[in-house]
This record gives sequence, structure tokens and C-alpha cells, in this order.
Amino acid sequence: MRINWRESLYHLLLWLVALVFFAPILWIVLGALKTKSQLLSVPPTWVFVPILDNIIDLFTRPNVTDYLRNSFMISASAVTIAIVVSYLAAYSFSRFKPRGTDFLMFLLLSVRMVPAAATVVPVYMMYIAFGWKDTWPGMILFYAMFSIPFSVWILKGFIDGVSPRYDETGLVNGGSRLHVLFKVVLPQVRPGLVAAFIFNLVFVWNEFLFNYIIGGRQTTMVPVSLFTWMYAQMGIDWSFVAALTTVYMIPPIAAVYFFQKYLLTGMTFGTIRGEV
Amino acid sequence: MRWYDNSRIFPATLLAPVLIFFIVWNIIPLLWMVGLSFYYYSLVTGQPERFLGLDNFGDILNNFSVWNSFGNTFVWVIITIGVETTLGVLLGFLFWNSAKLPGRRLALTLLFSPMILAPASTGTFWRLIYDPTFGVINYLMGVFFGLRIDFLGNKDWAFAGVASVDIWMWTPFMVLITLAALGSVPKAELEAAEIDRLPWLKRLWYIILPHGRFILMLGILLRTIDSFKTMDLVYLLTKGGPGNTTELIAIDLWRKAWEGFTMGWSSALALLLLLTAIAFTSIYLYVLKLSAQRR
Repeated sequence: MRINWRESLYHLLLWLVALVFFAPILWIVLGALKTKSQLLSVPPTWVFVPILDNIIDLFTRPNVTDYLRNSFMISASAVTIAIVVSYLAAYSFSRFKPRGTDFLMFLLLSVRMVPAAATVVPVYMMYIAFGWKDTWPGMILFYAMFSIPFSVWILKGFIDGVSPRYDETGLVNGGSRLHVLFKVVLPQVRPGLVAAFIFNLVFVWNEFLFNYIIGGRQTTMVPVSLFTWMYAQMGIDWSFVAALTTVYMIPPIAAVYFFQKYLLTGMTFGTIRGEV
Repeated sequence: MRWYDNSRIFPATLLAPVLIFFIVWNIIPLLWMVGLSFYYYSLVTGQPERFLGLDNFGDILNNFSVWNSFGNTFVWVIITIGVETTLGVLLGFLFWNSAKLPGRRLALTLLFSPMILAPASTGTFWRLIYDPTFGVINYLMGVFFGLRIDFLGNKDWAFAGVASVDIWMWTPFMVLITLAALGSVPKAELEAAEIDRLPWLKRLWYIILPHGRFILMLGILLRTIDSFKTMDLVYLLTKGGPGNTTELIAIDLWRKAWEGFTMGWSSALALLLLLTAIAFTSIYLYVLKLSAQRR
């Protein structure tokens, strides 16, 4: 068999590019598997016997499982709520085009335009006034709001791509509007739903600022806990940072690995059907 | 006929949840912010709030450090978005025909990994990577070029050092957008161009650009908005220093609000930023729409 040199070279190049971007993260993962002195050795330690001490140390810290659970529960419930309400709104925008649709879509996007440090000031004062600070619903609903704009934008694009004839056929054949909404249109925009879900999930999972300000003891997620823990007597405990980062990156990386094709189709905002 | 089959109530009912969310978590805080911006209000001094009228705004417009941060932010957006878009589009084209790449799924996951990790933790760890004594970059530079640079502590390098991390983190997003944009180009038209042996530049101009432009522009818009309000990454790496070389407007704001606790002043600044962002986005979307119509 003849080896296609051009193609092999091309593939080698692609892998190199991917590895260049991954290199700093690989360095973090390696750091998590080194001893503290290996991590800070000069010259850097390239070959070593991997140890799990840092990871084990991580799980012996108080409350770490609580923080991980908070991360899971808060991000999953916030994004689920956001996707459901965004789907309904996107359907309404796409099919009925109520007056001011464009303006409302734009207004929604403006939620993401204010620097977080600014939004958090009035939100903090509102949360104090209403007694919502450091409550689960307060945290979850806030993140849901934050995930809505992007989801509505993606989903509207996808629903626009589904011909209204499907809706008409469904209605004419005696289906109710809810039947059309959930049984006829919903299955056809699945890539959009998955893409919006993953993108927002990754965002909320990693969010730091709002959790730091309007969260508290009950609702601390892992990125904030990184801050309360990382300072040891000798400055920053780098082994700890590396270990926590390594453990915390597993779910988003797995999500991107398993749902990759949805991410690619999702970013087309519904302009095409099928795979990219 | 059930209530939800009513063609007037139904669309409104569908919209209601999002509108409620929008009013409670966006309009109310926004009005609160507008109100606060006319007051002197501090969280720590315990003084009663004092009505200032437009003094906060006047103070901001005459404040040298605010203008400096604005300038830095402008340069920051231009540089990071410029490099991320160029590099991302180039890499996107490179990965376009990668369907037969062995382990493509894994390779793309690795490529996308910088943007899906928590900036709080990667940002922190970059400080070790950049460290002049313990950092791996300085070690490698020392071996190959005999150089040693304190990237985050040196006034001449801090901006570039921080921008590089941002570029590393967000170029993959532009690759993703480019791949999506290229995927939206109909295969049939590309095959026709292949058969006609259309030159590459013409293919780009007449086939790829008209189809892919919308997605690409939307991606750039999303990134620009995010870049304009970059805060955590820079704060973690340099806290705006050394001096004020990496002081972006969002960091200024954070400092005034959560280190100085002058809520009124920071609300006024926040309002000005929101108006700036809205103005830029409207112009951008307007141009985007115009170019879409002309096509």
C-alpha cells in the first residue's frame, strides 16, 4: 500500500496544532501528578513517577464534596430552566413574530454586554434587600437568566430552519399546539438544544464572579473555593491548584468529547441541517 | 378548543417566562443601577446616601485613570479580537478537510480545551507557567535563547503576556465558529466550483464568504462583547499592574465597587459602559443587516 505522504503530513500538522493549544493544560495535569518539590523544581521535572497524593489530599479537605455537588446541581438546574424557557420564547419569536421581536432579541443580548463587575453591584443590593443572597434559588435563577440570551439566539435560528408547514400539518391533523411544540418541532431542533445546553453549562460551571459576590457558604461552587483554599503559608499552593483544576476539568472535557458534533452544528445557529 | 390553542394568548404565554426573568433579573437591577448612579452611596462608611445629581458622571468624565483604562480596553479589544479572528479563521480553514484525521474527535477536544476550563483556575496557573524563576516558559527561553523575562511583572511585557493568555484561551472559539461557518457552505456549490476549476480567491469571495459571513460575524460580535468586559483573567494574572499597564475598564470598575465600595460611582460608570456597548453593538448589527440585504 502506498502511503499518502501529503495527507500524513497534513494530519501530523493538525495534531501538532491541537497539542500546542493543549500543552499548558497538559502541564497543569502533569503538575497535579508531581510532588510539590518536583512541581517547583528548576529545571522543570520532565520525567517522574506519577503520584495521586495531591488528588487524595484534595478530597480530604472539608466540604470539597459539597462544593462539587453545588457546582453540579446549580449549573445543571440553571441551564435546564434556561433552555426550557428559551425554547418557548424562541418558538414564539420565530412563529408568531410578535411586535418588537427584533428589539426584544437585541435587548436580551444586552444582558451580556455589561461587565460582570457592574451587573453584580445592583444584583447584590437587590439580593440583600430581598434576602436572596446565598440561597439556591437565588443562585440558580440568576444563572438561568444569564444563560437565556444565548440560548434564545441559537434556538430561534434553529426553529426558523424548521418549515412552518410542519406546524400547520400537525394542527390540521388535530394535534394541539402543545403537541406541535413538543412532539413536532422539538425533535427537529435537538442539535440546537444540545449545543445551547453544553455552552451554557460550561459557562456556569466555570463562573466565578457572581458566585463569589452573591453566593455564600451554602452555594459556593468549586472555582470560588479555589480562592479560599489556595493560599498556604508559603504563598500559593500550586499542587493544590493543579489538582483541583485537573479534577474540575473532567466533566466539561468529557461533554465536549461526547457532544462535539452538536457543538459544531449548534454554532451554525440553525442555518444548515445535518452534520458539519 | 383548549385555552392554549387561542392564537392570541398562546404566543404571549410562551414569552411570559423569559419576560419575567428579564424583568426581575435585568430590568430591576438596571433601574437600581440608574438610581444609584445619582447618589453618593458607600457600603462601608455607613453614611446615609447623598443625592449628587450628575456629579458622578462629571467625575468619571474628568477622571484620568478612567480614560486610561478606556484606552487600554480599546487596545485590548482590537489586539485580542484581531489576533483571535485571524488565527482562528486560518486554523479553521486548516481543519476544514480534516474528516479523515485519525482521532479527529480527540484532537478537536484538545484544541477546544482552553476555552472550556475555568478561567479562575487556568488564569491562576498561568502565573506559575510565566514565573521568572519556576516557570517552564522562562526555563525553555533560557535554554534556547538565554533570556529571562518576568512577563507579568515587567511594564513592557505585561500587556502582551496577558493578551497571549486571552488569545490562547479564545482562539479555539474562533476556530469553532469558522468550522461552523464553513460547514454552512452548500457542498453542491463547492463541487461545482471544483469542476469549473475556479481559482481559490474567487471561491472564497463568491461562494464561501456569502454563506459563511453571517455566522462568522456573529461569532466576532459575541467575542467582542466578551472581550470588552474581560476582567477575571487579567485580575488573576496582574491585578491591572504593573503600574496601570493592564488596567482594563472592567477591572477599574471592580476595584471601585468591591475594594472601594463606592457603589454610586461604580453604578454611574457601569451605566456609561452599558451605553457604549449598546451603541457599538447596534452599529455593528445595523451594518451586518445592511450587508445581508445587499446580497
